[in-house]
Amino acid sequence: MDFTIRAATLEDCKDISRMILELAEHEKVSDQVKITQRDLEQDGFSKNPFFHGIIAEVPEHHKSREGHTKVGYSLYFYTYSSWKGRAVYMEDLYVMPEFRGKGIGKALMSKVSQLGLAAGCTQLNFTVLDWNKSSLDFYLKQGCWDVTSDLGYHCMRCEGDALEHLAQGDL
Amino acid sequence: MANFNLRKAEPKDVPDILRLIKELAKYEEMEDQVILTEKDLLEDGFGDHPFYHCVVADVLAEHQKVEGYSVIGFAMYYFTYDPWIGKLLYLEDFYVMKEYRGFGIGSEILKTLSDTAVTNRCSSMHFIVAESNKASIDFYKRRGASDLSLQEGWRLFRIDKENLLKMSAEE
Repeated sequence: MDFTIRAATLEDCKDISRMILELAEHEKVSDQVKITQRDLEQDGFSKNPFFHGIIAEVPEHHKSREGHTKVGYSLYFYTYSSWKGRAVYMEDLYVMPEFRGKGIGKALMSKVSQLGLAAGCTQLNFTVLDWNKSSLDFYLKQGCWDVTSDLGYHCMRCEGDALEHLAQGDL
Repeated sequence: MANFNLRKAEPKDVPDILRLIKELAKYEEMEDQVILTEKDLLEDGFGDHPFYHCVVADVLAEHQKVEGYSVIGFAMYYFTYDPWIGKLLYLEDFYVMKEYRGFGIGSEILKTLSDTAVTNRCSSMHFIVAESNKASIDFYKRRGASDLSLQEGWRLFRIDKENLLKMSAEE
């Protein structure tokens, strides 16, 4: 199947927002999505964007059952390793179910790698849920390694009340 | 003691930042993994689009316990993005020299960072900890941090440069 991979623009935020919700609905947690299309436009397309996006698009004659031609996306941003320097973090990678198995996911990830390398990054990092067997297999096949398993690194979070208390100096 | 000052890092702090990065890596038994140079830190942290931000803790000359060093602690962080909840603050490195622990410097650094997170409308602060680092895990859990790897099954994955190059070359 023909598809193109390109940088996301402001106009793509409507479809990116749709696909973010699709992914959340699939995981049965769409009520956790607080970010709107407007937020994406502001946070990703202003002078100092907090993320960058890539879109996978198919021609009109291959559009989805519901009439969409934008069928996959990746959101990424630049981070920093105090050991190795510049790195790129792939926050989201999604292809609509009816368009899977055609190399679109791989192509999206390849684009993120290219952009990361061009920006001087030596690592691409991302997280995967341990029950997501098909994704785990896909990534391991691309030459990724599981830092949590191999080095015992755990992802930690401090949010909500805990963050507020920390900011106020409470223990 | 406790006469210390927390401030935003300046270009002149780069040699101390690298020294502390290496000390922390040594504590994690990963000293040989640090390939970052002072030149990288200068370019990447103090240009037009910094990849990271740093706060440093310094002590007055008369309180120096270790000959010649006034910068005795630091934290390196940057902003990331979650498409469900928006901006986040990511804590990359956080370290206080052994001789200066127990005086509340670490807590004060964390308070400053949390404050920065809240001021910048970040809903959360994220970081990783090695599961073998029981002291740090307890420190963070006491302050309300949750372990996403344990609780939600998130695993951190990485692709290093060699495989990044292979992936970016695929059509």
